[in-house]
Amino acid sequence: MRRWRLLTKATMGVLLFGVAGLIAQSGRDTYRQSYNVWRQAHANLERDAAAGATGVIAQVDRAAAAEVSFAATRAAYVGSTAQEAAQRRQLLQTPVMSPSPDLAPPRVAEIVSGELQTVTRTAARFANDPDSGIRQLRQALERERDALTALNNAIQARQKAVAATSVPAAALEQARSRTAGAFADQASQFSQAAAQLEKESAAWADYYERLAKGIQAANAPPPPPVSVTSAAPPRNDSAPGVPLARYVGAWTYPMVNGIFHGAQPEFVDLVVHEQNGHADGTLFARFKLTPGTATDPLVRFDFKGDFGATAVQRFSLVTSDDAQGSIELIPGPAFNLLEVNFQTEPKTNKIRVGNFILVKK
Amino acid sequence: MKRALGILLCAAALGQSPAPQNASEPDLAALEQAAQKRYAEWESLAKDLSERMARILPCDPRYAAGITEVSRASEARLAALAEYIRGASVKALAETAAAKILLNAEERRAVEAALERADAGQEQTAVDTQSDALAQSIRQRPSLEDAQKVLEQIAAMTRQRAAAAEQQAGSQDAAVVLLRDLVTKFDARDAALRDESVAFEAERGRWNGYYAARLARAQTECSITQVAPSPSKSPARPRGKR
Repeated sequence: MRRWRLLTKATMGVLLFGVAGLIAQSGRDTYRQSYNVWRQAHANLERDAAAGATGVIAQVDRAAAAEVSFAATRAAYVGSTAQEAAQRRQLLQTPVMSPSPDLAPPRVAEIVSGELQTVTRTAARFANDPDSGIRQLRQALERERDALTALNNAIQARQKAVAATSVPAAALEQARSRTAGAFADQASQFSQAAAQLEKESAAWADYYERLAKGIQAANAPPPPPVSVTSAAPPRNDSAPGVPLARYVGAWTYPMVNGIFHGAQPEFVDLVVHEQNGHADGTLFARFKLTPGTATDPLVRFDFKGDFGATAVQRFSLVTSDDAQGSIELIPGPAFNLLEVNFQTEPKTNKIRVGNFILVKK
Repeated sequence: MKRALGILLCAAALGQSPAPQNASEPDLAALEQAAQKRYAEWESLAKDLSERMARILPCDPRYAAGITEVSRASEARLAALAEYIRGASVKALAETAAAKILLNAEERRAVEAALERADAGQEQTAVDTQSDALAQSIRQRPSLEDAQKVLEQIAAMTRQRAAAAEQQAGSQDAAVVLLRDLVTKFDARDAALRDESVAFEAERGRWNGYYAARLARAQTECSITQVAPSPSKSPARPRGKR
């Protein structure tokens, strides 16, 4: 169960730590570069598989690792593209500003009309009065009437302008809603594309594994004739179906987004050698521990044993402090990933268990 | 001319955004509330101005003071309204600018989507080529058949993805067309707002003109009722008669 969880996390993790340095520049160019690297690594693998040329298995490993890198780069690109698009399209989620029509109330025009009528009536009352004072008053009333008339016209013009603004504002709001809908469809396409790419990458890992198996099966010598007199001890040349390249080599713990269970590694270096079906190797690690703890953060041990017939390889180990224990090497979800699970007998202030995923150097 | 004035107003609005929530976004709701409050204050004074003035003698200081009070309330109302209109213009300009930036980004995204469509096509071709090569190899090494089955699945997935990329590029193009139309409508809204702003400024000037004329009338009323009676002409009117 724990292993399953770890591997599931690893599937996600591989999409992240393999391209940690590329996240910041996850443009199309970057993933296309990764694609080209993958295609170059892949080259004519299918044709070479038939020829059974030397080094084809190694080429499968390289191509698988390059595909993992490409998939991770592209996943980062798709992810960042979707995220950026979602961010910038937020604008379309908010109704657009529409000026309030309440600030041009008809009551204003009513007040002005009322004043205009009063002033006009009053001015008319003094129309034929010869008195110079009344004439002055009439002229003042006429100026006021003219000012009110101009004001009345200006109010009507603004009311028309306010009404005219509401038309394009309403059309704009409709267009915003429609455009937001169109882009919402795009968001679902992004998530579908991401899911599709993940499936495809898993299929590629499966493909390379089966391709390697197919090549190995073809390269394997014919089975020896059955002999009842044979007293040779059984020997594991390799785990059937799992290329030795999945275990052998130099492995390291990724600097970022590493996957682990239990104590968190700061660094891990693992080297696995194979000779005639026999494995030996060394693991050197430092763990991040709670400050103030007396536990030694360093772990170093050697291990050896024969490769078994199962995918999970178990070997006995001896630490630098002479503690006995065992280590399991479990092929990861991609060619360049290896899960390590070790435990030792208890020793004071020593780490006795560890579980993490390493990436091939 | 109108357009130039509108641009000047918008530029001025950008320079003096009132009661901002942040540097670029004025609080329109607060500005609207303030404008409505000032309107209510003005309306309560302006609605019965003539009736109130009719009960006061023209030379009574309360007469001119009453008109001045309404005039000031009018100025306060118009100033609050101007703040609101400026705020609306600032917000509108910001929205339009953001929409144009979005359009620019989406047009670039449309180009990328078209390239991704081409990429997917290229990948599909590569997988098809691999399939053909593997089919040839299987004749010599049947043990590769398992791999071929998986490669066929991959080829199907790649085809599906190429179709999705095609669809995505198409829908991106369609969305960009909608977005271009949206930007046009943003511009139309802004032009209407500019017209509204120009109309408001014209009305504001007329209000000032009206209250100036009203105050001038009050002064005339006062001055003619204070003139000494002329013995050769008509009999003197009683003081304070309007």
